[in-house]
Amino acid sequence: MSSLFSQLAVLGSSLTLIFALMLLWHRSVDAYTTAFAWQSVVLAGIVAVVAYFERDPELYFVAAMLLLLKGWLIPRLLRRMEGPFGAEQELQPYVNTATSLLISGLLVLFAYAVCRPLVALSHLPTRAGMPLALGLIFVSLFVIASRKKALTQVIGFLMLENGIALLAVLGTYGIPLVVEIGVFLDLLLGFMVMQLFVYRIHETFESLDVEQLGRLKH
Amino acid sequence: MIFVLLLLTPLLAAATAALVRPYRLWVGWVTTVLSFAPLGAALWLSARVLEGEVLTWGPGEFLRADALSALLALCVSFVAALAAWLGPGLAVEDGYDAAERRSYRVFSNLFAFTMLLAVTAHNVGVMWVAVEATTITSAMLVPLHVTKASVEASWKYILIGSVGIALAFVGTVLAYFDFVNLAGEQASALNWTSLLASAPSLHREVLKLAFVFILIGYGTKAGLAPMHTWLPDAHSESPSALSAMMSGVLLAVAIYAIVRWKIVVDAAVGPAFTDRLLIALSLLSLTIAAFSLLGQRNYKRMLAYSSIEHTGLTCLGLALGPLGVFAAMLHMVNHSVTKSMMFLLAGRIQQRYRSTEIVEVPGLIRTMPVTAGCFAAGMFAIAGLPPFGLFISEFALVRAGFTAGRAWLMGAVLALLVVAFIALVTHLNRMLYGTPPKSTSVGEHTPWALAPIGLCVVILVILGLALPAPVSRLLNKVVEIAAP
Repeated sequence: MSSLFSQLAVLGSSLTLIFALMLLWHRSVDAYTTAFAWQSVVLAGIVAVVAYFERDPELYFVAAMLLLLKGWLIPRLLRRMEGPFGAEQELQPYVNTATSLLISGLLVLFAYAVCRPLVALSHLPTRAGMPLALGLIFVSLFVIASRKKALTQVIGFLMLENGIALLAVLGTYGIPLVVEIGVFLDLLLGFMVMQLFVYRIHETFESLDVEQLGRLKH
Repeated sequence: MIFVLLLLTPLLAAATAALVRPYRLWVGWVTTVLSFAPLGAALWLSARVLEGEVLTWGPGEFLRADALSALLALCVSFVAALAAWLGPGLAVEDGYDAAERRSYRVFSNLFAFTMLLAVTAHNVGVMWVAVEATTITSAMLVPLHVTKASVEASWKYILIGSVGIALAFVGTVLAYFDFVNLAGEQASALNWTSLLASAPSLHREVLKLAFVFILIGYGTKAGLAPMHTWLPDAHSESPSALSAMMSGVLLAVAIYAIVRWKIVVDAAVGPAFTDRLLIALSLLSLTIAAFSLLGQRNYKRMLAYSSIEHTGLTCLGLALGPLGVFAAMLHMVNHSVTKSMMFLLAGRIQQRYRSTEIVEVPGLIRTMPVTAGCFAAGMFAIAGLPPFGLFISEFALVRAGFTAGRAWLMGAVLALLVVAFIALVTHLNRMLYGTPPKSTSVGEHTPWALAPIGLCVVILVILGLALPAPVSRLLNKVVEIAAP
């Protein structure tokens, strides 16, 4: 029973990491949105699995919120933004695909090294997934730093949030509900503001390329 | 009652501004009057705290205010009242249209609310939620005038700020992980007092890792180098009243979050670990800020880099034992008053000369004598000259460093302070003297706006000449909490 639980946790965490890696070789915002939506669905699934094995009704609520907000609402808003910006989906990232994958591999290895004291300390059946969650956090940071389009950076940020949620549910079976609700609220509002700014960047610069954002120096 | 006044009046003010359509100037005045309620509440709170009380409110002690919270609430509500008094939306000729004025009145009040919530929340998770919300509410106001530069600044701010704060959340989750492993799941686990009580038995390696994430995360918001890159852009492109709030107290709120965590981590692993990290980042911030000040051409960016310098000094003080913590907290108060005043004055100058370049605003002393005088006083204050408060706190800080046996470190800090001093005085000279452009009008417009500025100068001089007894008692209480 417990080994099934732990296998499901590791399988789910690996899937979320793979969805993040998909950002590295795809070139269209549409594919990014799909990857993010599926990643969120898997994350909600992991939360539901933890809720089932731990008999924790609060976590079912969190899973439902995740599914609604990150699996449905935000991908929908992202797709609506693709309309006006459809013509500029080709991306030339700062780092090419092969190097990106190599760096991401190293980041995941680094996450395993950092997580060693955590895994040694924990006695939860889900602990083996924690390095993967931290790996997802590091890979998302790398995506934000290495991409030029504002929209891709937003998706990288959303994946970073998914990584943190994954770390919380695997390591602690979820943070207190009051904090969880606050985090959802911040995420939604933060996303709305970012979305507004993406439109503004497009209006004022007639492009979503953040390389053009180089006026302010020194 | 105190918490209601402190937290609900900013929400009420924001709601008023949001609901009255079209925007009227009286709405601005109503929100300005309302902004004094949190200030009164913070003074009342400080008085209660000085009597040895710790105030709590709500289910599971949702809100909790000790001396550290009271000190921050005082700074936040003071600067928020100042920014309400001198911000857009009160006078006809302030250069903003009705939609921009309403936007300012709504979001500046929400911004003040989130900062006040951050310093009174008992749960460190809720504190995180509030600090994240400060990014959202303030980012909305950075591009109040939509220009290429302000859009760019707002994007950098929200992206770097959100990512940084997300890392602080990773740290919070790691600490919670540690706690849950020890004591099992509890709703109160993220309450600061519970964390502190169980700190000695927490796992050292995990807490150290958590603190690294927390320092990088909240350090991003506090403007610590090398995560400071958003700060000069956001501070220079925002409307001046918002810059005043960001530089004056947002940085202080982020430092507050670091202090709260430092106390917990110190109780578990001893202060040597956190001190080393803080010293490294502060020294880097001081160095970058001092040399960026030298070559600065834009006076609002100059003030922003000076904020990075003072954030560095405050964090340095936190790492220098009880004397250092006293100096750091005093420095934070002084900096809140000085820098918010300076950004508001910079806003007056910018409005008159229509430029933020140092070379394009010569002859200040002839065109706006009172503004120029206050600006010069403020520049001397941030350069660390007597008789202003910052001189006293910097002096106390350096003395704490020598007492702690860090003579080499203090030597480096003094050298960097001299570099910053030279840079600031040179720039000030260029702005005060010279011939103003012919098109610039002479005389002070909206003279009533100078009254609060004058009050700031008076406060600074008082803090510089003799530290009033209640202030020093409050600071001592903070030191008891932060460096036991």
